[in-house]
Amino acid sequence: MTDDRIDQRLRELARDYHRPPAVPREELWARIAAERARRRAAPRVLALRPWLRWGLAAAAVLVLGIALGRLTAPVGQLATPPDSAGVVAYRVAATQYLTRTEALLASFRAEARTGRLDAQFAGQARDLLTTTRLMMDSPAARDPHLKSLLEDLEVVLAQIAQVPAGRAGEDVDLITQGIEQRSVLLRLQTAVPAGPGARVQGAL
Amino acid sequence: MTVAPVSSVDERELIARVRAGDGLAERALYDAHVDRVFRLAYRLAGDDDLARDFTQETFIRAFERLDSFRGEAALSTWLYTIATTVTLNGLRKLKRRGREIELDHAAEVAGGARRAEPDLKTRLYAAIDALSEKYRTVFVMHDVEGYTHAEIATALNVEVGTSKAQLSRARAKLREALADFAGEWVS
Repeated sequence: MTDDRIDQRLRELARDYHRPPAVPREELWARIAAERARRRAAPRVLALRPWLRWGLAAAAVLVLGIALGRLTAPVGQLATPPDSAGVVAYRVAATQYLTRTEALLASFRAEARTGRLDAQFAGQARDLLTTTRLMMDSPAARDPHLKSLLEDLEVVLAQIAQVPAGRAGEDVDLITQGIEQRSVLLRLQTAVPAGPGARVQGAL
Repeated sequence: MTVAPVSSVDERELIARVRAGDGLAERALYDAHVDRVFRLAYRLAGDDDLARDFTQETFIRAFERLDSFRGEAALSTWLYTIATTVTLNGLRKLKRRGREIELDHAAEVAGGARRAEPDLKTRLYAAIDALSEKYRTVFVMHDVEGYTHAEIATALNVEVGTSKAQLSRARAKLREALADFAGEWVS
């Protein structure tokens, strides 16, 4: 018997290999619809690949370096940074991070006084907490002032992320006390580069 | 249920409607392709629950990513690529976790409806299971489910020649595994 004939016989016999049952069309369609609805309703989590994570961290570090350099350099001795599109993009990204964090903490403190807290605070705090931890793992944290600020921000943002929506009790008082005692807002404002257009409008 | 094949013109229109958020078009697209997707998933997984999971995930991904479909290949080929990726990745994960899928070949063979060569079939199924993933996938897609080499090559991201070579090698391995049944081939 030739190989061709054997192969033909094999194909005939293999038709029963894992022979599928009738396709459960309606059940499958219902499952697909339900799962798609569930995924649409679920909060989106941005899973960053390691190279992207480090890329973002490096970008943020670069911007912060520029921002800190501008803040610490004596007046009149500011070196003009290279006006490349990359540097501008980095500056915008870091400024946005610092501005968003500052705006979140200021809003949180203001709403805490009214006794009602919006549910969006926890979500925004979680987002910013991720960025903060990326910064802490990056060479930016070698700067002792920035490291200290990032550590305080991590604690505060982690606490806000845990606050249940609508509750402004003792926990919230402790968080706002922490913000005041560590002068977090003042230090954040100092870290944000000054000048027209430095702050990002509508960041929150 | 029999679904009429979708012509290329209809398919383009269907895709445009799905992209515009037309739920009926989504269902029509699903109806046109679910049989082959499910059959492929089942043939490769050999398990009803897994085949359902893989089919579900295939269509969810397809609907999510339809905007990225550029129409360079037929929609069916694009769907089979997703189905193959989802199924093989799913099976690899299960293998890594050490989960064994129960294969009840004995029940199939003892089913009574089929008359021929229970031992030969059992050995053949075991030999197919024992093939490496790439050989088994090509064999199942081509010789069992009737996919063309062009479709297989696209789905597995290999050259057509590679698909042909792997099928040839898979068949040779099966012949070798069943060599002691040579006397029964002619029956």
